[in-house]
Amino acid sequence: MTRGTISYIGQRLVLIAITTVLVSSIVFLLLHQIPGNAFLNETRTSAESLAANLHHYGLDLPLPQQYANWVTGVLHGDLGESLVNRGVQITPLLIREASVSATVGFYALLITIGLGLFLGIFAALRQNTWVDYVASSASVVGYSIPSFVLAIFGLLIFGHFFYIWTGGAFYYVPGWGKLEQVPVPALALGLPYASYVARLTRASMLETIRTDYVRTAWAKGLKSRVVVLRHALRNALIPVVTILGPLITGIITGSVVIENIFGIPGLGKEFVQSILGRDYNIVIGVFTFYAALVGLANLLVDVIYPILDPRIRY
Amino acid sequence: MTRSSKFRSLAAALGALCVAAACGGGGTTTTSETLAADQTLSFPINDDVGDLDPAHMSAAVDIDLFQNVFSGLYKFDSKLAEVPDIATAPPVISADGLTYTFTMRKDAKFSDGSGIKADDFIFSWNRAARIQGDYASVFEPVVGYDAVAKGTTKTMTGLKKIDDYKFSATLTSPAAYWFTEVGLWTAWVVSEKAIIAGGGDDKWFTDPKYLIGSGQFKMTARTPKQSLDFAPVANWYGGSTGVLQKVHIEVIADQKAQVTKYESGNYSAIGPMNQSLTPEDVIRYNSSPTLKSQLQLLPQARTTWIGFNLKTGPFAGIDAGKAGRHAFSTAVDRDQLVDIACSKGTACFKATGGLITKGLQGYLGDGTNPATKFDPAAALAEYKAWDPTGSKVAGLVYTYNSSAFNKAVCENLVSQWKKNLNVTVQCTAQDRKSFFAARTKCSYPIFRHSWGADYDHPQDWFDFLIVTGAGSGGSCYSNPTVDAMAKDANSKPLAQSLDTYKKMGQIVVDQVIAPELVYGIQQYLVHPYVKGVSGSALYDYRWSEVRILQH
Repeated sequence: MTRGTISYIGQRLVLIAITTVLVSSIVFLLLHQIPGNAFLNETRTSAESLAANLHHYGLDLPLPQQYANWVTGVLHGDLGESLVNRGVQITPLLIREASVSATVGFYALLITIGLGLFLGIFAALRQNTWVDYVASSASVVGYSIPSFVLAIFGLLIFGHFFYIWTGGAFYYVPGWGKLEQVPVPALALGLPYASYVARLTRASMLETIRTDYVRTAWAKGLKSRVVVLRHALRNALIPVVTILGPLITGIITGSVVIENIFGIPGLGKEFVQSILGRDYNIVIGVFTFYAALVGLANLLVDVIYPILDPRIRY
Repeated sequence: MTRSSKFRSLAAALGALCVAAACGGGGTTTTSETLAADQTLSFPINDDVGDLDPAHMSAAVDIDLFQNVFSGLYKFDSKLAEVPDIATAPPVISADGLTYTFTMRKDAKFSDGSGIKADDFIFSWNRAARIQGDYASVFEPVVGYDAVAKGTTKTMTGLKKIDDYKFSATLTSPAAYWFTEVGLWTAWVVSEKAIIAGGGDDKWFTDPKYLIGSGQFKMTARTPKQSLDFAPVANWYGGSTGVLQKVHIEVIADQKAQVTKYESGNYSAIGPMNQSLTPEDVIRYNSSPTLKSQLQLLPQARTTWIGFNLKTGPFAGIDAGKAGRHAFSTAVDRDQLVDIACSKGTACFKATGGLITKGLQGYLGDGTNPATKFDPAAALAEYKAWDPTGSKVAGLVYTYNSSAFNKAVCENLVSQWKKNLNVTVQCTAQDRKSFFAARTKCSYPIFRHSWGADYDHPQDWFDFLIVTGAGSGGSCYSNPTVDAMAKDANSKPLAQSLDTYKKMGQIVVDQVIAPELVYGIQQYLVHPYVKGVSGSALYDYRWSEVRILQH
């Protein structure tokens, strides 16, 4: 890694930190404008007990001071305590839930890249054959159907039609982490993006395999596997890698919907519940986490560029 | 008619399907029962518990659970009668009604083996008043409460230790209902030693090791938002803790998934801790001859009514808006509402006897509220006379907090008002927090309202819903006559004040302040081999009643 690359990564990390702080500030301010708070319920809550709760959590302080307290906590690795589930520390909770979301997200990304590349390459190499037509049509269909529709189809097929096989609860078994829980949500999350990657890969591959250096490689008598994977694909991947950042962002935001549909105990589900429950600390924590994650995902993509194309330098 | 028989006849009227043994309130193990080797009670809850500290608790979920871990001087039995728990007898009340003297049993112990003395109760009650949880006002009648609530001192001067096992509480003015409130969770005893060892008021309950109570069970493990585990307290001072070896609770938000796991034998029951089933599932079980025996539908102490704004809007004014409120109430066919919104009567049943739920003290009697009698022709005539041009209710919006049940209620009400009054009302859903924040300020002209009783005493309804400035009212109703009656009734024992409370209830009915729609039903889905899982109108039966039979 060159000094320039290290410097570039350093600059980006600073920018990510600033972005994260900005996002958390905006969320913090907006969240406190929503009517209601975590302590309003249909019980005999008195003005005194409401005031005591607000005071206990520092919610009666001026907003800038509340924000400063929160930032101080974050700098110490402490995102605070849930306002709804008293005593529950947010940092370990989010770490646990992030690992759940990461599992689904990882498999969704595998499907996105693996299936997308596979379909795209084969469609390009078999241009204007039935393979190309099937793959291209499947990509269009896949890209046209949103994740949440696929998720509902998944529920219908695996939770209803295949009830005997799945028991209807294949994704619900408490103690998340069993492999059988992952495929359907990951497919629902990853398939639309896989279709997009397939279309992009196909177009990129078609352009690349017509270039002179690929023709030269064929002329040299190299095996087709070597020509395709080592020579053509590497260059064809650059546009694909370009959209990886937005894809990862899409998978992260898409997981909010998918986790709620499948009842997956991840960050996305927590995110929605905490907004409805006015659990400010968790909402801000999740938002901040997402902001940092999206920034880091984009940085990762930028770091991959020079590996694929040595002409790119930072 | 006793309360018990009221509940039974109600259940029959509803077509409620109670397994005889379960409805009877559990009971003890009989010699004819063969117990399973694994005595684990398992059930799901939709969301994790909110509070584990009695001083903070307010949600039914938390209370149903932690009544097995904590206890107080008194508790409520299956018929909601208040009976001694750590106390040896009801308190001795001074002639002026101001001083209550409590005598405790001497063998009571916390789950860590340390003895419970009067000092522990005085500490716990002072602490609850100081912390100011939602139900801290339980101690409001005690001398010195205000100073503790304001934080100027830490002890209520009205609490006095007499000896290690006897103490007294002096009230600022007679409040006969207060004895009932002493049976609530806020008055449960906690261990000062455990709180200090566990890191203080904000932390001690987060570690099962320090969550020390005096109940029959103790928490053994908890993963927030995932699961909770409990085990019986060895050598519990009160005697038997039943036959259960373990209680395992899982947090699963999806009710469909809960039923799937129940049907595959992974859960003993669904319903404990104030949980409910999906409408589809409860109807499926209720309509199946083979599954029906697993479903219990029991009266629940909850009333849902149409909330009207008495301060502003078309229905404002006790007299000025009365005809409009009456027309809107009598235009609703509650049978139809129950059929549609209450899942064919499995989630709630028709309300016709006043604000206080059927079966509770203060209930006015079936059919005693004329405003609940469906009469579309009379309703239309009354409405036309009250609002001939339709201008009063033009653009009227009925607001509710978002839930499937509230949505179904609203849609049905709106369709009936359209059909029977030719009035167009719009349904608007808001999230719970926004809704409660606005309702507290009397912001809605017409809205969904509901109340679940905390205990079986009419004061719990009138003080928090009806009297001037009632914190949970939402309608800004104010009637000096009712206020004076409430003050008088609250100061007298229920035997002497019940008539006054009923008169107040009748005023609320006559003035069409809160026309009731439905009363609640608690659902329990229990495997035939699981005995003792059931509940009263307010609480689950304790886990010590539960047995898992061989199956």
